[in-house]
Amino acid sequence: MKKLNIVLLIILLIFSLFSLFPIYWTVITALKVNSEIFTTTPVFFPTKITFSNFYTPGQTFGAVSQTAFGSLPWLINSTVIALLSSLIGTFLIGAPAAYALTHYLKNVWFGRTVLLMMMIPEAALIIPFYVIIIRVNLINTWWGLTLVYLSFTAPLSTWLLMGFFGDLPRSVEEAASIDGLSAYRIFYRIALPMVMPGIIVSIILNFINAWNEFLYALVLTYTPFPSGAQTVPIFLTDFIVIEKSFAWGGLAAAGVIVIIPSIVIGIYAQKYLVRGWTMGAVKE
Amino acid sequence: MSEVVIENLTKKFGNTIVLDHVNLTIKPREFFVLLGPSGSGKTTLLRLIAGLEDITEGSIYIDGEKVNEKPPKDRDVAMVFQNYALYPHLTVFDNIAMPLKVRGLSKDKIVQSVKEISIRLHIEELLQKKPRQLSGGQQQRVALARALVRNPKIFLLDEPLSNLDAKLRIEARTFLKSLQKELGVTTIFVTHDQSEAMSMATKIAVLNKGVIKQVADPYELYMKPQDMFTAGFVGSPAMNMIPGKVIREDSKWKFKSDDLKLELEGMAFDRESDVILGIRPEHIVIDNSGGIEGKILLVEPLGSVTYLDVVVGNTHLTVQYTGLVRLDAGMSVKLNFAADKMLFYDKATEKLINS
Repeated sequence: MKKLNIVLLIILLIFSLFSLFPIYWTVITALKVNSEIFTTTPVFFPTKITFSNFYTPGQTFGAVSQTAFGSLPWLINSTVIALLSSLIGTFLIGAPAAYALTHYLKNVWFGRTVLLMMMIPEAALIIPFYVIIIRVNLINTWWGLTLVYLSFTAPLSTWLLMGFFGDLPRSVEEAASIDGLSAYRIFYRIALPMVMPGIIVSIILNFINAWNEFLYALVLTYTPFPSGAQTVPIFLTDFIVIEKSFAWGGLAAAGVIVIIPSIVIGIYAQKYLVRGWTMGAVKE
Repeated sequence: MSEVVIENLTKKFGNTIVLDHVNLTIKPREFFVLLGPSGSGKTTLLRLIAGLEDITEGSIYIDGEKVNEKPPKDRDVAMVFQNYALYPHLTVFDNIAMPLKVRGLSKDKIVQSVKEISIRLHIEELLQKKPRQLSGGQQQRVALARALVRNPKIFLLDEPLSNLDAKLRIEARTFLKSLQKELGVTTIFVTHDQSEAMSMATKIAVLNKGVIKQVADPYELYMKPQDMFTAGFVGSPAMNMIPGKVIREDSKWKFKSDDLKLELEGMAFDRESDVILGIRPEHIVIDNSGGIEGKILLVEPLGSVTYLDVVVGNTHLTVQYTGLVRLDAGMSVKLNFAADKMLFYDKATEKLINS
């Protein structure tokens, strides 16, 4: 038993190192001075710390003339769009759909097909989406990108919440119906609060997926806030797509800013994520 | 103070018949117990009355009104579930207040009603807690309070005591019984525990495999079980069942089995037949002045009574001795059967012959 634990620990350590190292590398690159970024032997522990990569007065990178500090207009777009597509996907589509599928439509297979929608690669949908969004005049807008993002947030929420709603003890909802609640009230006053861990997991996963999305944003938006809806992953490209220099310091600094929300949310949500994934595994 | 009438009620799940043409009348103020083993259909019957299941065939009337198509929320029944089914995300107060809020009562009225019922059920200290912070007994009281707070027409209970520990269960019985009497609400109580049924009910319906076997008050059910299933199910330890024959000999009716021969004085039968003799442990009396001789195999002293496993030939009999007695395995005793307490069941139909 003890041996197994040590082996497990080593595997987990390697795994953690593997997934945490890129984050570490991004962070130290963001804090390094240029002379330590461009070395033939990699510098793992910077000797000098600088914040100039985040903000240097007068310094610009790329076509949009920004340092990491100037990412605010993109951050605004990303936040709004990620929140909208996450909340709408969870509350307006995912939760009601999952509840109806588990409680009224007894055919489970139909419910599971919602996952199929997530299996279609983005690249296959990008042209149809582009045509549609142009036609409805939502190109380069919050709502345009939000609508497209719902194509992956809503199915994920539906699928995820089906598990939670399916595991609810039926007697509680029956008690509510005897107490006099209508079907609609049972949904939002009893069932929905009871699957709150699932709702939180759904919101977080949707938010992170929407926050990180690149391809749709690249094609469907072209200017930052306030004139357009370009999101922060596109902002990052401005640091590399230039002719003369690869602004690794600025890119890493911007990367750090982009990563921060995901990490903060991830840490906060950890307990819900664990509870969410294991819920239903144990019968009470 | 409402009446429930069940007419020809049949319930099928797919091709499985769960309830088979059930007819019952539950009178106002009655404490009516549905008693049966698991799978007998008793919970399904309760759920049909609540409106949680669809009726396959037949009708249910509450106060003369047919409720077949009425959703649960419009039937004005209240139910306590086996697992209590409290709303886990709400406080005890909000749990109890829920049926009142739904009915649009004023805030003052709700607070007052919740307060009254929680004082009556001794849970006024718990109103701000969440269900998971409560013990099983407290959860049960909250479930009762939630059901009773709105003065329902019918009060349904689905094995509400089965999750309590033994001591608490006995307390809850007494409490529920007196509460029901005080409130006078028509109550239907489902249980598989015959002692629970006997101790609480004013009337008991025994169910087996979806069929009503007998409807009677506890006294009659115990003394005159109409068929062998009821006879075996009601009473603990179970009734002795001895297969044999009723015969006419020397112009007297007699019972004869492999090991026993009893004269049946004062009894009359239509004809000689194969029967099962049923006699309760307390109706076999040890009287060493005379009787059938048997050998004690086991002694179970419980204090107020002592149960003896006595063997006569190859027939095992459970005998109850009132009080504590020093008897040991291996001793011989003489047994007398109380003639007026003997029940004879037809071997083929399993129905009571001597009513």
